[in-house]
Amino acid sequence: MREACAHKENECQAGDVELKQKGNKTMKQSNQLNRREFLTAACAAVNIPYFIPSAVLAAPGRTGANERLTMAHIGVGGRGKGLFRELEKFRQTGAVKVAAVCDVDENRLADAAKEAGAGVDVYRDYRYILERRDIDAVVIGTPDHWHGVQTVHAAECGKHMYLEKPACCTIEEGKAMVAAARKSKVSIQVGSQGRSQPEAYLAHRYLVNGNIGHISRVDCFHYPSPEDNNPVPDSDPPPELDWDMWLGPLRWRPYNKRYCHGTFRWLLESGGGQIRDRGAHVMSCAMWWMGADGTGPVTVEATGTPPKKGLWDSAVLMEVTYTFKNPDWIMTWTQMPEEKLPPAEERTGEEPGGKIVRPGYGAIYRGDKGQFIHWGGDGGTWAEKKAREWEPPAGAKDVYKSPGHMEDWFKGIKTGAKTIMNIEAAVGVANLCILGNLSYILGRKLQWDQAKQEIVGDEQAQRMMSRPQRHPYHL
Amino acid sequence: MSMNNLKKASLAAPAILLLKREAAGGVTVGTDDAKKRSRDEKRSRDEKRSGAEKRSRDENREAVTKLLSKIKDNSDQVRTEGWLGAGEVGAAAVKPLAKVMTDENLEVGRAAKRALWKIVRYTGRPNAAREKRAVEARLLELLGDEQPVQVRREVLWMLSEIGGQNSINPIAGLLSNEQLREDARMSLERIPNRGAVKALKAGLETAPEDFKLNIAQSLRKRGEDVPGLACVKLVPTKKTNVKPAM
Repeated sequence: MREACAHKENECQAGDVELKQKGNKTMKQSNQLNRREFLTAACAAVNIPYFIPSAVLAAPGRTGANERLTMAHIGVGGRGKGLFRELEKFRQTGAVKVAAVCDVDENRLADAAKEAGAGVDVYRDYRYILERRDIDAVVIGTPDHWHGVQTVHAAECGKHMYLEKPACCTIEEGKAMVAAARKSKVSIQVGSQGRSQPEAYLAHRYLVNGNIGHISRVDCFHYPSPEDNNPVPDSDPPPELDWDMWLGPLRWRPYNKRYCHGTFRWLLESGGGQIRDRGAHVMSCAMWWMGADGTGPVTVEATGTPPKKGLWDSAVLMEVTYTFKNPDWIMTWTQMPEEKLPPAEERTGEEPGGKIVRPGYGAIYRGDKGQFIHWGGDGGTWAEKKAREWEPPAGAKDVYKSPGHMEDWFKGIKTGAKTIMNIEAAVGVANLCILGNLSYILGRKLQWDQAKQEIVGDEQAQRMMSRPQRHPYHL
Repeated sequence: MSMNNLKKASLAAPAILLLKREAAGGVTVGTDDAKKRSRDEKRSRDEKRSGAEKRSRDENREAVTKLLSKIKDNSDQVRTEGWLGAGEVGAAAVKPLAKVMTDENLEVGRAAKRALWKIVRYTGRPNAAREKRAVEARLLELLGDEQPVQVRREVLWMLSEIGGQNSINPIAGLLSNEQLREDARMSLERIPNRGAVKALKAGLETAPEDFKLNIAQSLRKRGEDVPGLACVKLVPTKKTNVKPAM
């Protein structure tokens, strides 16, 4: 891309200046360009007025089954850094090559550049990565409010994606992501990796074989979202952070250091609290094991307790009830005081998932012949002993056994097979989280039409299914 | 029966009943007396209504005073109880809360903002059109230049959730305000009526060059074709200073 710009630099027209867009004047502070930078970037914009799917990479299977995948990492701090490290073993075997890393925080980017080593390009703006035709796939580990926009853009450019969960922040984003993925036929794996854990397979198999009978209720439990006990006033962003890019699609507001990094999770608009963070794991297992991917509730009703001070506004304690019909079952999500959580099972550490290191969340499955409990639901998923020890009799049903979350994604890229946490399923789970939060925010029960993917009979809630996005960070 | 006739009939009913009752008792009552009684009854009803309205106003004033007192309290717990209960206080609290939003005590200002949002979310519920319009009207009064930018920005987003036709022109007026135009554009984008689309179209006509693509994007979101203004997602941004590892 840089070469292309160098070639085209003197072809820029005076009218190109209109491509330098901004919204409110207050939000351009961190986005000033010198003339040379501007001309270079404007050339890029002229060359590619909107994203064009890559001719080489748009169709799954075009990347040869034995070819090395060229990847870029978008967002390389926090969980993004974790994903970069998870892929190390695949880089070592030569299955994957990293070509670029990107972050809006210069410190994080510098760390990633160092860790990635020579020959890896660095970017602040992910869109320059999407332009590159030599990149097959991107790993998106950015804050949640960027997921929808980046997924749609990456799909439009024909990039396969590993996208950190939750898939989206609004119903509208989810619809656009599914549509873009279907159109471009890229393979997307969303990071609800609980589905790929060894004990998740055992739990799934145990449940679908009727060991606890007909399941009519799943109660998900989680410890509370935190309160901000150290609120601070707004301030200038630190010099290493491109605050405007960090905000991206969100409406502009002054920087406050309690927004980031990591703490974005505790704000309803960017992270959504525990329900959207861990709900995207625990409810993902529930939807998978209940065979409910592609279905949705008919009603959602939430209550909760807000934080008493500070910037963070996601519910500290929370109780959400999802009512499903045909088949009829209920799922609940409860953020409860730690002392009310179900006690974790004693283990030796020899079990497939080892000892339970995150006992603070999971779910209880209630059937007409008994109940089953699991803890975790993400990278750590621990099933109750009776499921681990169950020996399937002849004729028992088997279920899909993931080769590993990343491996399942690579299989999707190379064969076109649906990933275990494909974008449709992931949006379905994210929608549960979104609807739970919407009901909590509005203080009323919501009716949901799964076929139309719409809230019914509540105009304000319907408007809140989407959230207008700042130009140019939009779907 | 039309609504007007129905109202007239219900107002006249007591006098007619009285005439019938007195006629049955053998007492002759003149027409003038009946009219006088009817007038007296109407006056009495008006007084009652006016009294009820005054009581309601007093109660509202009292509720607003109580709410503000809680919002300004030193205790986190009391402030939280205050904003959580703000919804039912409604339109009367909108302007007083907006004043407190910029309080120098960060947490007091934050509680006031959350109380305002609570009102917006409560009055946006189904079958509460009258309450919603009352809150909308108060919010519109907060869009003027005399209000701090942070208040106006928040109000634009509140109107994006409950604003109707009455909100269109005041919001559209801010499309030319350099500090608020992007929020105004997004607010209009979300208001689901044709007036909002018309206002965006009109805004596009007069928008400066550096804002046309923003409005064009909103129009596309609303299903409009915007010839000549492509959907540009890649725009110049500042490059990183980080160098690749050698």
